[in-house]
Amino acid sequence: MGLLSREAWAQRLGAFRASPSAYMAAPEGEDLGRDLLSDLRSEKLSEQTKVSMLALSLEYPAQLWPDAPAAEAAATSLLDTLVLLPPRPSALRRPLLLAATTALVTGGVLGPTSGASLRLLPLLLGLASGGDLGRGFGPSSEQRPLQATACECLRELESCKPGLLGGSLGLLRGLLGQEGPVAPVQPLSLLLALALRNTLVIQARARASLQGLLTVRASPPGGGPWNWTLAQEGEAHLQPQAPSWPAAEEECGLSALEPSPEEARELRAAVAQLLDTSYLLTPVAQAQLLWLLGWALRGLRGQPPVLFKPQLVRLLGTAQLTLLHAVLALKAAFGEALFTAQDEALLLRRLTLAAQHPALPLPAHLFYLHCLLSFPENCPLGPVGEEAAPLLLEPQLCRGLLPNLLHDPMALLARLHLLCLLCAEDEQKEEKGQAQSPCHYLQELLAGLQQRAALTGGPRALATLCFQASYLVAHCLAGHHTVLAPLTHGLAQLYRARPALAPHFVDLLDRVAPELGEPLRVVLRQEVVSRPGGDEALRWHLQMLAKVADRDAQSATLGFLQAAAAHCTDWGLQQALLRVCRALLRAGGGGGLADLLQALARQLEDPDGRDHARLYYVLLSHLSGPKLGVALGPSLAAPALTSSLVAENQGFATALMVQEAPAPIRLSVGPRRAEGPVPVLQLQVEVLEPVYSLELRFRVEGQLYAPLGAVHVPCLCPGRPARPLLLPLQPRRPAPAQLDIRALYTKSTGLTCYTHLPPLPVKFADLFLPFPKAPEGARLGFFEELWDSCLPKGTESRLWCPLGPQGLEALVSRHLEPFVVVARPPTSYHIAIRLPPDSKLLLRLEAAQADGVPVVLRTDDWAVLPLVGDYLRGLSAAV
Amino acid sequence: MAQRAVWLISHEPGTPLGGTVRFSRRYPTVEKRAKVFNGTSYVPIPEDGPFLKSLLFELRLLDEDRDFMESRDSCSRINKTSVYGLKVGGEELWPVVAFLKNGIVYACVPLVEQTLSPRPALISISAISQGFELLFGIQDFLYSSQKIDTELNTKLSQLPDLLLQACPFGTLLDANLQNSLDSISFASVTHPQKQPAWKAGTYKGKPQVSISITEKVKSMQYDKQDIADTWQVVGTVTCKCDLEGIMPNVTISLSLPTNGSPLQDILVHPCVTSLDSAILTSSSIDAMDDSAFSGPYKFPFTPPLESFNLCYYTSQVPVPPILGFYQMKEEEVQLKITVNLKLHESVKNNFEFCEAHIPFYNRGPITHVEYKVSFGQLEVFREKSLLIWIIGQKFPKSMEISLSGTVTFGAKSHEKQPFDHICIGGTAYLKLHFRILDYTLTGCYADQHSVQVFASGKPKINTHRKLISSDYYIWNSKAPAPVTYGSLLL
Repeated sequence: MGLLSREAWAQRLGAFRASPSAYMAAPEGEDLGRDLLSDLRSEKLSEQTKVSMLALSLEYPAQLWPDAPAAEAAATSLLDTLVLLPPRPSALRRPLLLAATTALVTGGVLGPTSGASLRLLPLLLGLASGGDLGRGFGPSSEQRPLQATACECLRELESCKPGLLGGSLGLLRGLLGQEGPVAPVQPLSLLLALALRNTLVIQARARASLQGLLTVRASPPGGGPWNWTLAQEGEAHLQPQAPSWPAAEEECGLSALEPSPEEARELRAAVAQLLDTSYLLTPVAQAQLLWLLGWALRGLRGQPPVLFKPQLVRLLGTAQLTLLHAVLALKAAFGEALFTAQDEALLLRRLTLAAQHPALPLPAHLFYLHCLLSFPENCPLGPVGEEAAPLLLEPQLCRGLLPNLLHDPMALLARLHLLCLLCAEDEQKEEKGQAQSPCHYLQELLAGLQQRAALTGGPRALATLCFQASYLVAHCLAGHHTVLAPLTHGLAQLYRARPALAPHFVDLLDRVAPELGEPLRVVLRQEVVSRPGGDEALRWHLQMLAKVADRDAQSATLGFLQAAAAHCTDWGLQQALLRVCRALLRAGGGGGLADLLQALARQLEDPDGRDHARLYYVLLSHLSGPKLGVALGPSLAAPALTSSLVAENQGFATALMVQEAPAPIRLSVGPRRAEGPVPVLQLQVEVLEPVYSLELRFRVEGQLYAPLGAVHVPCLCPGRPARPLLLPLQPRRPAPAQLDIRALYTKSTGLTCYTHLPPLPVKFADLFLPFPKAPEGARLGFFEELWDSCLPKGTESRLWCPLGPQGLEALVSRHLEPFVVVARPPTSYHIAIRLPPDSKLLLRLEAAQADGVPVVLRTDDWAVLPLVGDYLRGLSAAV
Repeated sequence: MAQRAVWLISHEPGTPLGGTVRFSRRYPTVEKRAKVFNGTSYVPIPEDGPFLKSLLFELRLLDEDRDFMESRDSCSRINKTSVYGLKVGGEELWPVVAFLKNGIVYACVPLVEQTLSPRPALISISAISQGFELLFGIQDFLYSSQKIDTELNTKLSQLPDLLLQACPFGTLLDANLQNSLDSISFASVTHPQKQPAWKAGTYKGKPQVSISITEKVKSMQYDKQDIADTWQVVGTVTCKCDLEGIMPNVTISLSLPTNGSPLQDILVHPCVTSLDSAILTSSSIDAMDDSAFSGPYKFPFTPPLESFNLCYYTSQVPVPPILGFYQMKEEEVQLKITVNLKLHESVKNNFEFCEAHIPFYNRGPITHVEYKVSFGQLEVFREKSLLIWIIGQKFPKSMEISLSGTVTFGAKSHEKQPFDHICIGGTAYLKLHFRILDYTLTGCYADQHSVQVFASGKPKINTHRKLISSDYYIWNSKAPAPVTYGSLLL
């Protein structure tokens, strides 16, 4: 795009500001950044237009030059423009410096590799030190404002890259101390304070000393390369910190810094120098200086905070928000070291006074009140981080801080909080029963709020205020019956006067359930059901009742509903009526409810309403209590539509369908039984949550075993010992297998669930069964007979079975005991194993040696040989 | 200590958006820091449109409050300071400092130099008070001279340049924007001496100092056995010092006559260089005793160029200047009213004006009035349901005047007659408006001879005093009235 006129630029800037994202997304957005840079050098545009273009670049650099190379190029271009300005007064120098600084910071390019940074930094430092920069830097009249601007730019760079000016501390101190025509005090003071703070933090983290940084006056402007060492150390440290507040004590860690006596002296001198001239700073800048120096000195050894003391009296007298806030920060930072108990009391008084002084604006009052309740006490008693009245704040002092009906809502709530804190303390002391006790006053105030909220046609904000106050009181004074009882009563009266506030009541009941829920529910229910059904506020009554109806006093509720049913002529009212029925169903409705539902199923005009009533009736008559509760409970799935029907149906579906759920039990295979006609797996159960009507279904991959029967357990509870479950196996081949297990059960909530449990292995040895015991004396013969019967159909094999340190005897007794037919311990055993369905395995273990035993085995099923091999070899390892 | 962004929004009830962004300024370098400091809890600054909508909703300034909305009306959403969390694009932008004054919403987002979850206490965030001060400063600048809208527009158009001076990178340098404006014009002056940042240049011309003391008296009178009447004086001392030199020193002493009421709760301007501890500790929250410090109250200071408030004080005078009662009773279709006012003998009986306004809220228009006044005239504003009793410049010799009469009202129509949420049923008040020149209720004065100026030339010293009523209520004693806690302590 070519050169634009003044009007075109004004229009373009206006369009951009209206919605930057939309503008940049459009085609004309693409060139904005480039055009802006080039047109800044145009001689046809006025300075005013250029200033507004630069103002845009100060606010939206990331949109104009979105990446690092673009930002670097923009900063370079801005610096070029600055240098090329003719040497007469110009309004552009200041904004150009600001814009170049902003572009470098937001583009993230500030650093030793950026050409623009290496140009800007010496330029700024040169300007800040008031040096003569030669041509291009215009008339001397501009020198002072540019000096200030350069300091501001450096401060911003230091803020974003802590440590950047660590090498210039000495220089800055020198400038500040200069006599005669001098640099502006405020920008230099703030710059020095920030650089000092950052240097101390970085050096403390690096556990380095100050290395004379405070005194070295090196790095003259323009001479020598910039020192990036500290900035690179500091870069990692621009991270979340709240170094001034006590909660962040550990993060500060300045105690790691151990300045030498000389360094400590220099540091003290620097701080004193800053504080001594602080009266020359504007109040907001004084406050910044105090925060920074407070940060800098806190926790630093050998730096007593008494340096601040001469400033305090002056500061305490002012009404300036920032100054008093800064004093509080010093209080938090240094505590008793700076504020004696008397000082603390005085500060507290000034704060109390400021929180109500008629000359100050409301936002300041509220902030001071917050400060009062978060006051950094020398000896705090209560829990940290919770608002509380400080110990020294006697009730007498708070008199002027208590709320009344004439206050603005925010002030009323803030002061009400204080009043509640006082009431809580007051009750702890003694029940006085005086008319002017805070509790009594609180009741009057609440009554007044309720009266205002009851005003028909009054703004909603008044009602909201009344409920906010009720909430606050219920929370702060939970358990204080003397306050909560009249509050409940007053709220009931409010409902009587203005049922249209039902949504507020429902909201309140939700929020104060633990503190006030039950009594409030009862009085509100009484309030509603004592009305005739045909009230014009019926829709509010029904909304209210849907919230407060429960098992108690159901006949009164049903009576009201019966009377109301005749007046529920439109769909909305019928739905509201049915919602109450639903609430009663959930609470466990009785016969009266069934009658009402049947009547509604006939009587309601709207077919949808009738259907619903019928459905509720069917549910009531067919489902047990808990199941009904779940069926009607809030749906777990977020309803996609706000229709009550959809939400409701999701509720039913959840209740009536089987849901997949995480496993409520854990199964494992127990010790082998090796008895009976078939192998039986013993399953150990670990119960994680209560389970009812549990059915376990097992399946084996392939057709290795005959289908397995299900196992049923009526009830399992965690903590109660569970008997092992027995699962008979009917192998079709003697082979190990994997059991796939599913569980179907009912939860304590009534939901039916199903779970896929982790599979369990059936090992080869789990199938072993013994042969019937032959009589003593005939055993060897019995064994030989079995041995011979294996051949020729079967096979014989020899194996080496390694023995562990325990020897053969232990191995046999541990694993093969039930199957031993003939034993000649410790060296020889004859073992016969029945492998269902109809195979056998015979082992001769003879002439055991120290590290193993030769095994001769015969079986009539050659397919088991590899399994036997694995089994025997695994025995010694399995010990 | 920096601000991430600042906005001025004019509140325009009844328009589709409810308001317009009149000014906004973002600080991208501060935003860059916010991203690092806030970490995962960082929420970016929204564009003006979404911000406007969300802020007006949060401040309840949109017209749509007919239905209950949980996100706005829930009882657990309690704000106890002017600091809000705004829902923007599913996230919550916090902290947003905002308040409404004279139809303009002032808002800014202070930088929090740590993570936002859990939320740190406001007291621990240095930028909060800086944000307030910036907004107060802008407000003072816009309304420093209360004139017409065009001037407001001119001032709004000056704001971008002013903030470039006073807050170039989001860190506030001077909350006094007028001073920044001046510093642009004073820029060329060279300074041989250290120049305070709060003083843009030096004065050249005839030296003079003017001191004006304005006292406002407020009162709540009930005429009831069990409720105490209350009254309080709030004083403001304003100075304008036209003196040559960079740092002229001035000391002003405020004095009280022998029977004067001690000044309390004194707050001073930051230019005051030292304070007597007696001034610092005299406070209305302590019980009064005879030993209370009664001056002279010395304020040594180095004045800024512009007119400034040297100090504020309060005082508890022994009696209210005008004591009265108001009785109002509903009798069938009309109201019967009786008012009695008595000027205390110690008070200067020479008013610039004195009026009693008697409003009738939540009723229809006045259709008929019958009355008798012992002094002055009664004006009837039928549509506004208001009576104004014009008492004039002097009370009669007896110092006591009365009004009695009956008022009849027509049918109530909500649009025209005033609604009030305090004055329900019999609860009603009359409000006194008066002004007395060259007089203070405490007796406080600045003696010309007590003003010490350490500067070249002997300055001319002007002093002014006046007493103004403010929130001076007399409640109907025949019905309940809102009371303060102080009133209950008999």
